[in-house]
Amino acid sequence: MIDIRVVDCHKSYGQVRILRDISLDIERGEFIVLLGPSGCGKSTLLHIIAGLEPLTSGSIEIGGRDVTDLEPKDRDIAMVFQSYALYPTMSVRANMEFGLRMRGRPLAEIRAVVEEKAKMLGIDHLLDRRPSQLSGGQRQRVAIGRAVVREPRVFLFDEPLSNLDAKLRGSMRTEIKKLHRRLGTTVIYVTHDQLEAMTLATRLVVMKAGVMQQVGTPDEVYHRPLNRFTADFLGSPGMNFLDAVLRLAEGRVWAEVGRTVIPLDRYAFIERPVDGRPVVLGLRPDSIRPADGAEAAFTLDLKATLIEHTGSENHVVFDLDGREVTGKFPAEFGLEVGRTLPVAFDLARLSLFDTETELRI
Amino acid sequence: MRLRIRRFISQLVLSPSLALVAVFLYGFIGWTVAVSTTASKASPRFDRFVGLEQYVRLFDTPRWNVAFSNMFLFGFLFLVVTIGFGLLIAVLIDQRIRFEGVFRSIVMYPMAMSFVVTGVVWQWLLSPTLGIQSLVAGWGFTGFHIDWLTNPSTVIWALVVAAFWQGCGLAMALFLAGLRGIDEDIWKAAAVDGIPAWRVYLHIVVPMLAPVFLTVIVLQSLAIVRAFDLVVALTNGGPGVSSDLPSVFMFDMAFRRANLGLSAASAVVMLGTVLAILVPYLYVESRERR
Repeated sequence: MIDIRVVDCHKSYGQVRILRDISLDIERGEFIVLLGPSGCGKSTLLHIIAGLEPLTSGSIEIGGRDVTDLEPKDRDIAMVFQSYALYPTMSVRANMEFGLRMRGRPLAEIRAVVEEKAKMLGIDHLLDRRPSQLSGGQRQRVAIGRAVVREPRVFLFDEPLSNLDAKLRGSMRTEIKKLHRRLGTTVIYVTHDQLEAMTLATRLVVMKAGVMQQVGTPDEVYHRPLNRFTADFLGSPGMNFLDAVLRLAEGRVWAEVGRTVIPLDRYAFIERPVDGRPVVLGLRPDSIRPADGAEAAFTLDLKATLIEHTGSENHVVFDLDGREVTGKFPAEFGLEVGRTLPVAFDLARLSLFDTETELRI
Repeated sequence: MRLRIRRFISQLVLSPSLALVAVFLYGFIGWTVAVSTTASKASPRFDRFVGLEQYVRLFDTPRWNVAFSNMFLFGFLFLVVTIGFGLLIAVLIDQRIRFEGVFRSIVMYPMAMSFVVTGVVWQWLLSPTLGIQSLVAGWGFTGFHIDWLTNPSTVIWALVVAAFWQGCGLAMALFLAGLRGIDEDIWKAAAVDGIPAWRVYLHIVVPMLAPVFLTVIVLQSLAIVRAFDLVVALTNGGPGVSSDLPSVFMFDMAFRRANLGLSAASAVVMLGTVLAILVPYLYVESRERR
């Protein structure tokens, strides 16, 4: 069942176009993450869905109802903000109750709902405190609590974890995921943090300059990026990009990178390969590993020129005919700079892009 | 060594102004307190110590009591009107209206005028033969009267209106700055929660402006205690002494009635009033800092 439908949404401020041609169908219970660099329009899209900003053209449906011209309060949504946006002069309890009171629900019922949700979020002992007396993580919980008590059809999260420190961010991420699993409510979540996006999303929307680049499961987007931007934006360290030329010989397809020739038998071409076509070959560092002697793997002897230790693994930069490629090696793998060793390439996970359009071919 | 020289130089540079403040501010405060315990007449004389007698006499003087209670009445009315309208205008301007700058300037301009000019302007406006009354009468409404300046029981309103005209801009500017400082997300959260705008102002935004209220009250209160030129220009304390304020009383006693002792006592009482306003404010401020 489609829960939210965004149809041909455009947004401009004067001459500046913020969003172009956004269309998106969201199923009930999905966890959609809008991901992109700052200024890509992801927050604007969220605000438009919330009704906090008007559309230039297009329409929004929530729960089968056209809500394009409805006020935020009539859209059956709740929102969590980056700055938490708690009402600072009210207690936590009043913050959570206020929205329900405005809807004229009986007080006894409100009290019960607030107590229950506060217990669920582990903030029931904070109900009588002011927001200024809470830590960042607690504030964020209260902000989520204020959204949860309304029992809306859709939750909107606008970079909710950006103001937290790294460790807290990790644990809050897990909690948001658990919360989603428990409530089963549709969620739209805006972030520029790819780790949050990859771990939380059931579907990912990658955006750039107001245009949707790719929509898909985190796995799809990570392993089959539809263009070079998406490929580059996800993953750390970033994808290796190598200029190559396609070669057709003996009924097989090859990619020529300098003097090295890489077989492309396992690549699923979208377009028919043409001999001599210049392409960009993309390989994730995860696909470049130490050769373990397995027959099937494609291996090259490469010289290590730089090693970065991250603790759990090492990022090793190799020299491939004068080009740099980075691979991820286990931390316990003994290695020193300047040594040449056999390196295995997982060619099933490779991507090819057009040099001009930067689209996957 | 270098550090010591630097510190020495900074102390050297600061010391003249510190000395000036010490002598001309605190020195003269002390001097005034001293004079208030003497029976000085036209000139200060320290050979006749009378203790607190001048203070007892001060509060036995009907004119002082009128002036002193006028200060509280005027202050209360002025604060209520200024804060009420200042906040209202700030909220209206905060609605992202067009020509915001024009409206802001209109409200702020009177602030640029001295109280003497304000007093004279309002004296003309309230004068039956020159001002609003004759204008309205000219339209044919001959029954219309404003006798604020000549009626002892309403003359205080003339002061309130003139002071409000001048002081409203400051209150408005402070409130507007406070309103603009409120996180946009609060408004968005309230919109999603379905809270009507007037309730957001009443329950969320105005409570958030508490520090601004405090600042406005303190600034305006100090202006009230010091108010002198406005009264002199607008009513000169009249009719009779009905619009007297303590500062006018003090000036009169010192320079016209040759009663320096009583004047000093009234000055000390005024200082006490200022401190009664300032000390709690500074206390609250310093506690919030921590």
